[in-house]
Amino acid sequence: MSPGARGLALPAFLGRQALALLTQIGGLALLARDLGRAARPESGGLDRVELLRHLYRMGVRSVPVVAATAAFTGGIMVLQAAPFVEQFGAKDFVGFFATFVTFRELGPLLIGLIFNGRVGANNTAELATMVVTEQVDGLRALAIDPVSYLVLPRVVAMTLTMVALVVLGDAVALLGALGVAHVLLDVTFAQFLDSALSRLESWDLLVGLLKALLFGVGIALASCFYGLRVRGGAPGVGRAVNASVVASAAGIFITDYLSTFLLP
Amino acid sequence: MHAGKWYSPGVPSSAPAELRPETGVAVELRRIMLAFGAKAVLRDLDLRLEAGRIHALIGPPAVGKSATLKLMAGLLRPDGGEVHVLGQRIDTLAERALGPVRARMGMLFQNNALFDVSVGENVAFPLRRGDASLSEAAIAERVAERLAKVALPGLETRQPRDLSGGQKKRVGLARATVADVALVLYDEPTAGLDPVTSQKIYDLVKGEQRATGGTAVVVSSDVGGVLTIADHVVMLHEGRVVFEGTAHDARASPIPVVHQFVHGTLEGPL
Repeated sequence: MSPGARGLALPAFLGRQALALLTQIGGLALLARDLGRAARPESGGLDRVELLRHLYRMGVRSVPVVAATAAFTGGIMVLQAAPFVEQFGAKDFVGFFATFVTFRELGPLLIGLIFNGRVGANNTAELATMVVTEQVDGLRALAIDPVSYLVLPRVVAMTLTMVALVVLGDAVALLGALGVAHVLLDVTFAQFLDSALSRLESWDLLVGLLKALLFGVGIALASCFYGLRVRGGAPGVGRAVNASVVASAAGIFITDYLSTFLLP
Repeated sequence: MHAGKWYSPGVPSSAPAELRPETGVAVELRRIMLAFGAKAVLRDLDLRLEAGRIHALIGPPAVGKSATLKLMAGLLRPDGGEVHVLGQRIDTLAERALGPVRARMGMLFQNNALFDVSVGENVAFPLRRGDASLSEAAIAERVAERLAKVALPGLETRQPRDLSGGQKKRVGLARATVADVALVLYDEPTAGLDPVTSQKIYDLVKGEQRATGGTAVVVSSDVGGVLTIADHVVMLHEGRVVFEGTAHDARASPIPVVHQFVHGTLEGPL
């Protein structure tokens, strides 16, 4: 390689990466546009049977893992804070602290990541497998729009499910926090509740739910996008799942940062 | 997945009889260019397939046979040239506008492409496609009749994963033909099957075409088998048509590449 070519290697690499990123963003935007078209009543609208099936698969069957994670997270949060609470005599703040952090940050963030790993990855794998086994082409050959039939019910189900799981997760996490606070710090239920209700605003809960909504839409779009654009047979399915999970996780953190910054 | 409600961009309930071109040209490809990345697959391909016949599309691996079939179904877009199917140019149509043409064709995929629903629901898919006039009883009757026709009577409730390779092919065949279409595209219908099962599949393809008078296009690497049913044989090589004629002509062809491929000899240009 000539010195001149070596000098261009880094810009060329960066250019390729930037193009790949822009291609993916453009693909996501096109998928969102197609979803909008598919949702119109004249295009057939939302397939309710498919929606219910996905709500069960993605939502109901995620409850155990979300509940377990949330309970431990709530407990760990108070466990970590307990020495400082005792040191500063801040028992009156435990309920507020646990609720505030859970509602605004930990609930949507942790459940978003779990949801991404469980539901998003599964969704990408399923769609990618359908592509490589020609089932998506089979739908198209039957004049059935894959976006309308496969993607729209999944995106709606994943978005609704994500919000519902965050509500459930928040509640379970607070129970976990309350349990540990009661055992370690002798905080009563009334103290915990009073601490939370006296300082917390409904906006704090709404910010968390808004984050859950954004994470749900993001995970749903990314998992469908990477599933449908798979190339290269079975190894391609693995690559698609990997790309989907990584992109969604990065998207969750970026969205979380921006929404935290923009929503005081 | 279920077979409940469908996206149907103006798809007619079933192909009107007057639209079915038992005579004339069913498929015409004009100066088709197709490449996958840097690899040119089809180069200036011209092809005319008469209606009401069984056409065999043969050729060495990776020569673009399946791609040609997918062009006919509108599943691929050419980089250049024109694709005319059942009297309509389709390469310029938007995906949603392809619905009415696709409603008049069926396709059997190399991997069968059976959906993760019961056999009966799989076969019923094309019947539910935008068709509100067919009752559930009528659909069930048609599915049962079609499954009996492919020698799988009473298998409606079975799942595709519980079937053998030959049975899956027959379910795919039943789904491709259940809607009484004018054009059926078969992509490697006997891939991975034993010779006896393969011949049964070919007999079903021929029986279906003779019964309906429609057009069948069969892509196959099983030259010996597909020549037993083909009215018209087309061989592709290096992105172009190198031979057209009857099965007899194909067997007797002096063209070196055709002779070697049809007779399976080791010596030759391939």
